[in-house]
Amino acid sequence: MQETIDIARFAREPQGAGARKDASGRDAPSGPSSSRSFWNLKVAVIVDRDDDGERLIRELQRLRCDVHHEWPMPSQIPAQYDVVFCVLSPDLPQRLPWIPGEPASALVVIDPGTGMLDLNLLHNCAAHGVLHYPVTSRSVQSTLALARGHFLYERRLRGRIEKLDESLRTMRSVERAKSLLMRLKNVSEEEAYNYLRRQAMERRVTIGAVASAIIDSYELLG
Amino acid sequence: MTRSSNTSEPWRVGVLFSRTGFMAVIEETQLRGTLTAIEEINAAGGINGRPLEPVVYDPGSEASAFGRYAKKLMVEDGVSTIFGCYTSSSRKAVLPVVERLNGLLWYPTLYEGFEFSPNVIYTGATPNQNSVELCRILMERYGTRFYFIGADYIYPRESNRIMRELIRNSGGTVVGESYVRMGASRGEFLPVMRDVKRAQPDVIFSTVVGDGTVYLYQAYADLGLDPKVMPIASLTTTEAEIRAMGFDVGEGHITAAPYFQGVGSERNSSFVRDYKKRYGDDEPTNMCLEASYFQVNAFAKTLEQTNSMDTEILRASVMGSEFEAPQGDVAINPLWGHADLWTRIGRANRQGQFDLVYESPSCVLSDPYLLGYGRSLGQKNLELA
Repeated sequence: MQETIDIARFAREPQGAGARKDASGRDAPSGPSSSRSFWNLKVAVIVDRDDDGERLIRELQRLRCDVHHEWPMPSQIPAQYDVVFCVLSPDLPQRLPWIPGEPASALVVIDPGTGMLDLNLLHNCAAHGVLHYPVTSRSVQSTLALARGHFLYERRLRGRIEKLDESLRTMRSVERAKSLLMRLKNVSEEEAYNYLRRQAMERRVTIGAVASAIIDSYELLG
Repeated sequence: MTRSSNTSEPWRVGVLFSRTGFMAVIEETQLRGTLTAIEEINAAGGINGRPLEPVVYDPGSEASAFGRYAKKLMVEDGVSTIFGCYTSSSRKAVLPVVERLNGLLWYPTLYEGFEFSPNVIYTGATPNQNSVELCRILMERYGTRFYFIGADYIYPRESNRIMRELIRNSGGTVVGESYVRMGASRGEFLPVMRDVKRAQPDVIFSTVVGDGTVYLYQAYADLGLDPKVMPIASLTTTEAEIRAMGFDVGEGHITAAPYFQGVGSERNSSFVRDYKKRYGDDEPTNMCLEASYFQVNAFAKTLEQTNSMDTEILRASVMGSEFEAPQGDVAINPLWGHADLWTRIGRANRQGQFDLVYESPSCVLSDPYLLGYGRSLGQKNLELA
């Protein structure tokens, strides 16, 4: 068994993930699942400062998160933090400034443990994790790690889909530019493609940009 | 969200079309098409004994408001099925909401294609169902020199990219291109039309939408240009816009659409008759209204079978299903979740209606990524329907 749970690709933003040295000056293990990835993480905590709330804030501070506390719950949950811990209230979805599917930060909702658990409300918050009172050091760490991990994973997937959409369009222009070149320069498909690739490398632009430029200039010439 | 069948509780559905702002002319008709279908279904006893209850908001032609209202519908009103959106920017604003909360958006508008979401049923035309045939006919009848005029947002830019490809591949040229901002004023179309006059194209291809459509065609008429020689061709100018600009202004211009009011079938005659009875004799039907109408009926027929509003169940059931629409028999393509629709090309007449110039022999399979139209118009998709 590994000592730490290997949470897939859990990491701070690149700028926060610089190599850190530990007290003895050796390179610290700063893998994606290291608790060091919590360091300086900007965390908003929106809870009543009762015993449970205090315990949560203390634990996050112990993990060296950059904690910002707010209470009573603002009408709009702040969007500039890496992670938001917020008490589950019936109107929480309306207080979130983003639309579901495009969250600005990871969201951990806190179930106060009273009344019926509203699964539909949980669904509508589109949260990345749930924390139950009373908190323990382990539950805070694991929830924080998973929530942050899922948030970043979703964002990478969204980015990938965007990229795929763009690539689909690019492929069409590359196809067109290739057949233009084959006709105009009387070259083979292979040669036409190599020409596009070489131009892209020399000019340090994408192959799609070269393809579009060729199509556009051909059209200008008429 | 799955409800038991032993209840008369209504099925709640969301409806998002603009009744205000620069898109109101066409979106208002989509709202009517949606509500007409809902009223008809309820008058006939609802679905499995339960009526449909629309929850309607007016996003006021503002894309981000569509996203906010979609969230409100799903989170506060407990709705999972939404009928709505005209512009691509409004659809893209609703997309993250329905995808994250697993809702189902029924989108009754033609668009530029190149999209596939498991949380959307697309019932308007994509380029292989309108642009491809339109391009062929324009080149045959009017000539090969095109001028593009568009509103400055996703749909016109993308449609023009595809149209340019079709034109170039068939040996035509694009001799000019102008974009006006969304919600542009009348005055902004004059310099554009002067540039058109200078470039002397054979055809103007317009992707202007909303109030701008009226200004564009009126500016054309004011300059005394002749649609018999140099028509404006469009994928979005319907009977509704023609009525708004004036029948004399619209006469002679060309539109490609799956549906025109003049479609000669018994199904359509009764659709048009009922619509006029409800909204007035001088109110025309149009393609966006028709898609809004038939998609609610497609939804109702599906819901009757599933008896559940659960998105997974509804979607699984609607994929591949066939419906009789005013435009003719259509189907929801099981591969793409886009509708297989008819291709029709019409020329506006003095009565504000379209005379048919071309009609496909049956509905045309949807091909949103234009996989079957890689190189030229000659290489046509196999029409299996």
